[in-house]
Amino acid sequence: MNYQTTALRRALAADYAIGLMPATARRRFDALLLADAALRVELGHWQDALASLTGALPERPVPDHVWAGIKARIEPQVLHVPAKKPFWMNLRLLAAAFAIVIAVLAGVLYQRDLGVEYNATLVAANQQPALQIKAFADHLQVEPLTLAAVASAQDLELWAIAPGGKPISLGLVPAAGKGRIPLNEAQRALLTAPLTLAVSLEPRGGSPTGQPTGPVLYQGALATR
Amino acid sequence: MSDADPLQPLLAQCALGDRLAFETLYRTVSPRLHGVALRFMGRQDLAEEVLQEAFVRIWYNASRYESHLAAPMTWMVNITRNLAIDQLRKRREQPLADGQQDAMLDDSPSAHEQLDREREARALNRCLDTLDGMQRQSISVAYFQGLSCSELANHMAAPLGSVKSWIRRGLERLRRCLES
Repeated sequence: MNYQTTALRRALAADYAIGLMPATARRRFDALLLADAALRVELGHWQDALASLTGALPERPVPDHVWAGIKARIEPQVLHVPAKKPFWMNLRLLAAAFAIVIAVLAGVLYQRDLGVEYNATLVAANQQPALQIKAFADHLQVEPLTLAAVASAQDLELWAIAPGGKPISLGLVPAAGKGRIPLNEAQRALLTAPLTLAVSLEPRGGSPTGQPTGPVLYQGALATR
Repeated sequence: MSDADPLQPLLAQCALGDRLAFETLYRTVSPRLHGVALRFMGRQDLAEEVLQEAFVRIWYNASRYESHLAAPMTWMVNITRNLAIDQLRKRREQPLADGQQDAMLDDSPSAHEQLDREREARALNRCLDTLDGMQRQSISVAYFQGLSCSELANHMAAPLGSVKSWIRRGLERLRRCLES
């Protein structure tokens, strides 16, 4: 086919833009586009004209969990476990108090540094955010985002999986997905390395074998800090 | 398409890996793209899935945006539309389960629309008014449902050749009018 006629190029670009081309014609046109800058410009005009069809659509507020899901997919996630109170904690507290006084005097108070800054979002198989996890000194705080209902004879169990390693249980996810999961010393140490967090469906009371026995419903990868 | 489009520097910063710029971009355009996704999908949950996927693509493909080819919003609407149409095509291949049909919602326009949006819409409506009924209908069904030519002919119960020419002529008239 002769792709050089202006009218034909214009018509083909229009077909392509609105999506009428069958798959083979579409692939051929894709190849042409790569080599032909003027054709890309022609296509751009059609796409602009067609995009105006959506210009009159009303805006819709977006629920927060959509952003959480996007972030979970583009950011390396970090679950920061703050240091547990060591014996010199009081000294540190004193120093921190001084720092705050100075910051206030200077008029600069970095609020962010005082709260929990790190959390991870676990997503379901369809990439929808399901569970948010925040780290504290001796526990994880779990918040449900969109959690599937769990039968009363079953529990959700949270696992830490180091690259190439076996899953290690961090404990049961509280009923309804909201609450605390206490951490022991070994579990805390585990969370400082890059790993994957996963939630599996287990019999009531957790896996009887020490390894996940049911399907993994949610997961999220963590990076180190 | 104007050089002063504030979305353009945001996209450029996203291309450099600036997450803060991405969040600003998201806050600015997500309600608009959500409206687009909902128009295509007709269901809240499906629209949100498409929207999430669209923004993941926008982030990873920001460096491939070419400002001389399309306005940033056009580019982002196209990403959203293509994902929505892929989903619609997949769903057309598998029939709806019980109850899903009931979940379809009717998208009536929100009560207040911004002034420039209205002006834009007026220009579009004026141009759509220059099309005859079949041209208008075939363009809007092809655009919003992602039907191929033969599916479209089926849908409109009209010969393939007629549908093709309605769309061709309609699009041509629409673009000339919008550009005038």
